[in-house]
Amino acid sequence: MTSDLIGGARNAATGFVDRLVRDYSGLVVCLIALFLIVFIAGMVTAPNFLTIFNFKTIIRDAALVGIMAVGLTFVTLSGNFFLLSMKETAALSIICFATSMSAGYGFEISFLLTMAIALVAGAAQGALIGLGGNPIVVTLGAAGLLFGLGSWWSDNLVVSFRRPHGAEWLGTGSFLGLPNITIAFILIAVTAELVLRYTKFGRQVYLVGANRAAGRATGHENFAMAIKVCIIASLCSAFVAVAFSAQVSSAHVNYFSSEFGSSGDMTIMVIATVMVGGNSIMGGFGSTLRSSLGAIFISTVDNMMVLHGFNSGPRVLAVGLMIVFSIIVFALVRRGARAQE
Amino acid sequence: MNGIRNWVINNHDLAFAILLAVCVYGYFGLTNEFFATHRTTFAILERFAVLGLVGLALTLCIIAGEIDLSIGSNAALAAVIAVRFTDSLGAVSAILIALGIATAIGIVQGYFIAYLRVRAIVLTVGTLMLLRGVALFAAEEKTVMLTDFRVPDFITTKMFGYFSPASILVIAMFILVGLFMNFTRFGREIYAIGGARKEALAAGVNLKRPMIIVFAISGFCAGLGGVIIGLRSGTAQALGLQYLLLAGTVAAFIGGVSILGGKGGVVGAAIGTLTVNFLNTGLVFNVTPAFMVQLYLGVLLMIVIMFQTGSRIFDQKQRRKQILGDVDARRGPLLARRLAAARRAPP
Repeated sequence: MTSDLIGGARNAATGFVDRLVRDYSGLVVCLIALFLIVFIAGMVTAPNFLTIFNFKTIIRDAALVGIMAVGLTFVTLSGNFFLLSMKETAALSIICFATSMSAGYGFEISFLLTMAIALVAGAAQGALIGLGGNPIVVTLGAAGLLFGLGSWWSDNLVVSFRRPHGAEWLGTGSFLGLPNITIAFILIAVTAELVLRYTKFGRQVYLVGANRAAGRATGHENFAMAIKVCIIASLCSAFVAVAFSAQVSSAHVNYFSSEFGSSGDMTIMVIATVMVGGNSIMGGFGSTLRSSLGAIFISTVDNMMVLHGFNSGPRVLAVGLMIVFSIIVFALVRRGARAQE
Repeated sequence: MNGIRNWVINNHDLAFAILLAVCVYGYFGLTNEFFATHRTTFAILERFAVLGLVGLALTLCIIAGEIDLSIGSNAALAAVIAVRFTDSLGAVSAILIALGIATAIGIVQGYFIAYLRVRAIVLTVGTLMLLRGVALFAAEEKTVMLTDFRVPDFITTKMFGYFSPASILVIAMFILVGLFMNFTRFGREIYAIGGARKEALAAGVNLKRPMIIVFAISGFCAGLGGVIIGLRSGTAQALGLQYLLLAGTVAAFIGGVSILGGKGGVVGAAIGTLTVNFLNTGLVFNVTPAFMVQLYLGVLLMIVIMFQTGSRIFDQKQRRKQILGDVDARRGPLLARRLAAARRAPP
């Protein structure tokens, strides 16, 4: 196992360019070209774009959506489309965390409690999906349920807790000049990528996603897989909720709804990130690295549009165009690979 | 009596939907003295006008084996356009523009889904965001408002006791779509691509035509719903109306569609929507906050899904058992014959 890991890591390092040329079709080249064009255009036109500070801002903005997208990538890769309940899981989690913090339990207990609730929510959805429920409809119902539970618990009020509190290091602290949330994003993204590439579980995710019949024939039912990936996605949502709550020292169920960040609601932003990164939405193809890059790409574009003084309308429009563009390119490139099941 | 029994057995989904609707109505009618009154019925029909359209659109999409996630954004865009242009161009042309744009969006979506051969959820989750951006753009990030309130007054005038122009229009729409789905070739094609897409394609159905029709109707319904909401209240928000997707999906599933497609119908959509409306209105009467309504809808959807999934698994098990039984029944005599042959043959 260890030697595998080291060997794999060496291959990954040396063969990166080779693989880029061999494996990745025109799509990734397109995305990278697009990214470069945007980058250069931004560099030329926006005066404050190319500063270290702005670069840090971009990554920090990408972090929250990026963590969720990394979690959702597991679901997408395993062929279960996506969860429409990402932001609602986060909403319930943020209420849970803030209520627990304001009741005087420490950070650790609050964190574990939040994670436990997210785990139950994820496992329940995963079980229903694994039994054969349509992921979209199941999570649409779960979204209503979780959001309602969160509103009911908090009475639709803002729950706040006083500074100083035990979670400040996560929300506003920084390490080596990078905010801790950014570091958490990098750590989670790297871990997820390693898990997907070099562990048995990671390979199983790809197998179930790429060919469900083959997975079933070799004893990898979607039932267990759906539960696992939904738990991962839910835990990532809950982590984002905790980080966000630690940042603002308060919670409300609507924090992740329409007004969050810049571009509409969080769930769709996360799905957009996964898609723009170039993951196959039908499963079996893609990686969390792509999702992380997608998050940074969207964040870069958004940042540049802010620097150019655009309102929220054009910015949401830009993200929407990016999603649709990525869907169309992807469908054309991968045509026939797994069309119409 | 026997006829009723047969009907229930043949249409158990619809029978269940009717039973559920009657139960919900009965519960609120008995516990609340104002529920079963003339005014409440009018209010329920007013709600039906919007939610019914969305339920109808989603029912058609799910019959075709797809789901249109962009329905809320499409409705919001239509509402913004209708409200924004009513003052300058007059109500009729504003409505026509809004409906035309909404239908055109539906047609484009349907074309791309059939052309690219992607699942509709994949494309519509993109257009969900895209249309929201367009709506924000059209509304200039503000809440648009009417200044002339003759149009809202007209839309909410009472006619024939229980109806308003909006609800009459929607009921007519239901009847038209119901006739279309049941008695025209195009309607049957929609059922065909939902229930058995491979077989339908093999039999010569062109995937593009039914897909474009479904999404055109879906876009039209979403647009009409948005126009009615927008013009009735006189205001429209670009980020509003997102709750329609959940409510419409619940209505469609109560009405007896199956996520696998090919099942359900317009009557089911109407009854499903009415059930959701009864629940909504009844909960409002009991002073339930809006988020609790969402909670109940979520629970309802989960229960319906659990029933459907459970019954599908049960069906599969039964079928498997039957096949195994058939195999055993055939294998028995075959083995006996072979044994006899072996005995007869000299060693």
